[in-house]
This record gives sequence, C-alpha cells and structure tokens, in this order.
Amino acid sequence: MQSQDNYRIALLSSYALALHGLESLIPMPLPWIRVGLSNIITLMALLLFGFRAAVMVTLTRVTLASLFNGSFLGPGFILSLGGGISSILSVVCVFTLLPGVFGPVGLSLIGALFHNLSQLLLAYALFIQKAEPVLIVCPVLMLLGTITGLVNGLTTDLVIRNLKMSGISLHNN
Amino acid sequence: MSLKDSIRSTTVADRILLIFLLFISFFSLLLTKEVLSRSKEVSIEVDGEVRYIYPLDTDRKVYVEGSHGHLTVEIKDRGVRVTDSSCPNKLCQRQGWVRAGAIICIPGRISVTVGGSEKSKGVTPDAITG
Amino acid sequence: MDTLVTIQVVAKRPERAEKAIDRAFAEIKRLGDLLNFYSEESELAKINRSAGISDVKVSPETLDLIEKAVSTSGKTGGTFDVTIGPEIILWDFAEKKKPDDGTIKERLNLVNYQWIAIDREKSTISLMKRGMLIDLGGIAKGYIADRAVEELKREGIVSGLVAVAGDIRAFGDKPDGRPWRVGIRNPRQSGRDDEIMAMIELKDMAISTAGDYERFFIADGNRYHHILDPKTGYPAKASRSVSVIAREGAFTDSYSTAVFILGPEKGLEVLRKMGFEGLIVDEHGKVHTTDGLRDRIEFKRLDS
Repeated sequence: MQSQDNYRIALLSSYALALHGLESLIPMPLPWIRVGLSNIITLMALLLFGFRAAVMVTLTRVTLASLFNGSFLGPGFILSLGGGISSILSVVCVFTLLPGVFGPVGLSLIGALFHNLSQLLLAYALFIQKAEPVLIVCPVLMLLGTITGLVNGLTTDLVIRNLKMSGISLHNN
Repeated sequence: MSLKDSIRSTTVADRILLIFLLFISFFSLLLTKEVLSRSKEVSIEVDGEVRYIYPLDTDRKVYVEGSHGHLTVEIKDRGVRVTDSSCPNKLCQRQGWVRAGAIICIPGRISVTVGGSEKSKGVTPDAITG
Repeated sequence: MDTLVTIQVVAKRPERAEKAIDRAFAEIKRLGDLLNFYSEESELAKINRSAGISDVKVSPETLDLIEKAVSTSGKTGGTFDVTIGPEIILWDFAEKKKPDDGTIKERLNLVNYQWIAIDREKSTISLMKRGMLIDLGGIAKGYIADRAVEELKREGIVSGLVAVAGDIRAFGDKPDGRPWRVGIRNPRQSGRDDEIMAMIELKDMAISTAGDYERFFIADGNRYHHILDPKTGYPAKASRSVSVIAREGAFTDSYSTAVFILGPEKGLEVLRKMGFEGLIVDEHGKVHTTDGLRDRIEFKRLDS
C-alpha cells in the first residue's frame, strides 16, 4: 500500500514539475507569480489519493523545482509554496464542509483563486511593499487564474472520468 | 467520456462561481485599463525612493543605477521595457514590453511603474544644499 | 580644493553631454587653482603675499570675483568681508582648539574690506595693510558654479545642474518637464530620515547655504564654527543655517554668509532690499522665510 502510494506520488510529482516548469515561461509583470497550471495535478492527487498525497505532491514539486532552479528558499519558492498550500487547504475545506456542492471545476476555481490571492498577498507583504503594482496585476492574474482554473477543472474531470471507466477507484477523504 | 460530458456534469455552484469570477475579472480589468490609460508617466524608483519620472509619450532610454544593481529602461511607442540588467535571472528583461503595470527588479531594488501617481510625493532631490 | 563637485546635464546625445561636462570641470579646476588660499602659486596667494607691498595683476575672473565680494560687503554694512583671512587661520577645527582671545582681538585691525584696492583698468588687486589676508571661502564656490554653468551653456547645453559642494546652480528643466529639485539640509540632522528639511524647485536660479554644522567643534558647552563675524572675530551665533536663492551663485554664497551673521530680522531686510529669497533657521531652530519663497518651497518638517 505504502509503496504504491509513493510510486503514485512520485509519478504525479514529476508531471507537476513539468507543468511547473512550463508555467514559469509565462511572463508576468510581477516576478515569480504563476498562473497555477500545476494545480491540475494537485487537484487530481487530492480527489484520487487524498489529502496527504496532494500535500506530498505539492511539497515535492515546489522543493524540487526550486532546487533545480537554484532558487531554493528564494522568493519564487516561497510564493509557490504559499500558493500551493493555501490552494490545497481551501479545496479541502470546501470539499469537507460543503460536500457535493462543487464539482472538480468549482474546486479547481476555488483552488486557483486562493493560489493567486495568496501569491499576491505574500509578494506584497514580503517583497514588494508597494500596493500599486500588486493592485494593477490583480485583475490580469484573476482572469488568467479563472481561465486556468476552468481548464484545469475540466481536464481533471475528464481524466478522472476516464480512470473511473478503467476501474480505478476514487479515494474519498 | 468526452469533454461535453464533463461540461454537462458541472454543478450549479460550479457555474455560478465561474460566472462570478469571470465577471469580477473583466470588470476589474476594465477599471484598471481605464485608470491606466489616463496615465502619462513612467516612474522609476530605486531603493524605495522615486528617482525619475518620464512622460510616456517620448521615446528614450534611461540608464538606472542603484546601490544593488543597474538596468536600462527603454520607453518607446508608449510602452516600457527593461534591457540590459545586472540581476542574475533577468526576469525583468523577459517581461518584454509593458503598457500598463510595473516591471520590478527585486535584486536590484529598482521598479519601473507605468501609470504611477500623478504627483509623486517624496521625490529624491537632484542635489542637496547645506 | 577638497570639494565634491557634481554636474548633471540633459542632452540629446551622450557625447555632447560628456564634452560639455569635461569643459566645465576643466574650468572649475582652472578657477580652483587661481583662487586657492592654501596653494603658493594661486593668484590669491600672490595677492596675500603682497599685502601692504604692491599690487598684483590678476585674471579677469579673480577681479570679477573680488568686485562682487566687495559689493556684498558694501550692501551688508561690512558683515560679509573676505579680508577675514587673518582670523580664519587662527581656528583649527581638526585640533578643536579655540584661539586665544587676545590674538583674536588684535587681528581685527587687519579686517576691513575697504582696504582692498581694485584697479579695473590695470586689472590689479592690492591690499593696503601688511598682514591682511583675503579668504574667498564664502564666495568662491558659488562663483565657480556660475562659471561652470556658463561653460555648459557655451557648449549648447540648455538644461543642467552644477553643485559645488552645497552651492548649486540649475538652469532649464529636466526631461520630464519639471524643474530641478534641491533639498535643503536639516541643520540638526539626527539620522537618515531627517536629512532634508525642505525641498525647493530651482528655475534658472542658484542656491547656497551657510550652516554652523559644516565645520565646527564643541568646547566648554559652546559651538565654535567656521562662520566668523568680521566685527568680533568670533563665530556668529544668530542662526543655525541660512539658505539664499538668487540668480547668481556668487551672491547666494556671499549673502548666505552675511545673512547668517546678521540673524533673522536684519537678514530678511537685506534679502528684501536685494530682491533675493531666503530661509533662515535661527539659533532657537525657528524658521523664517522671505515672502516670495512660500509658494516654491515644500517643508518636510516644521521646526517649532
């Protein structure tokens, strides 16, 4: 059981890493802010394998990415970590407190929203300290984040649907 | 199996949330664009203090040097970009042209803001007497 | 001259800016050599050596400068006086030693601007009494800033700022259409945050500041600084700092010294008569300004 989980986590982490790398190519007016493509993996891990798995995947992705970048413990690391964790927490809260209300699309949107807001907040509080550039980037990020969230949600739903078809069981946390 | 199934299986809450978020994003985007299109200035800050303010409508290149790094700001066709910076990851340069918003170089502690405040308080003096 | 000189210039092409700046610095160096109190080869040293002996042929700039100095002396009742040399050399701010009262009193006999003889035709200067010494410290920097600006203009520059230590002259506007902005130092600055007490926009004007914090030492509870009152030989007490704004640096420099010694009341009167603007921080820290200054100045903190 344990080793199967680890295997899955490792596999998912590598997908997440790839997406993380991909989304770092998207230019943003504020450095180190990301649109949240890798949330697909996080969400899937959560729905398929549970809270612990999702957290492990996120931590692995963020740490490895920053180690490969040479930006470990740097601002990029902090923002990704903060964004990732708050994204998971928000989704888990909604999932637990309001079961059945939101499907993968809604959960993905919520995750994306919290991911982006926490990034902006952390960037403002820790690094930028000037309200103006943060406020200016906010709408753009929100829009991109919403679109990404939608795409992620639909993709997740599609994948899970297919997996269900192939008989893989969903883990409910 | 298909995308259509996925779309159909979205819940009511999902759709409401989506519409709500899209609405807010577009709205705030329009608001910001409106505010920014009225801007005519590029403000360059070094180490937290405004050092230069330039009009957006005149093309020029400005070399900015701070105690933690340097970069060159290019203003052209009402857009701004950073070329030739001393920071290691060159994130500021990779942003390309910016018409509204800001380019921030965190290692160099230099920020270039388009559409900054009309009148900047606390501008650094060009010289000090006394 | 151990002074920090900064020149900022606005030009369409960097080569033009560099050429103009180089010429301006060359002129500054040339004038510095002519007017250096401490060097033996300067024209000033020649004048001082020949006091009571002969007249000395000088360059037009030296003549011009001394004429302006004498003019300020006349308009301020002798409060500004470049013949203060014999008194100034008594004070050693590095060793922090106060000179002997008797010596200070004695040398007052050598201080009087009216004993400077200027011959325009022959272009000569002479000092009538032996032992007289001219020190141009209270006017040279402003004058040099003026000449540097002239040099820049001659090279076709339309906007720039020359700062010879705290004596500043600006002309034209900055590229964003705003005028040059100069900060006035807080005479009792305690840290980085309160370095500047006010900001002023300079539109084709010069500004100089005389302060009791530039060269000073404190001994037995008194502050001894380098702005001496020519009538007493002791540091003037009426003010902490004075900034004067006028068209020429030579005048902002000399009048800021004079107004410092005169104090707020008489000082403001002189400024009004001359049509200059100015700001006086008196000995208690209270700020006085000329009427015309109020709209152009922005105070960062108000003294009580």
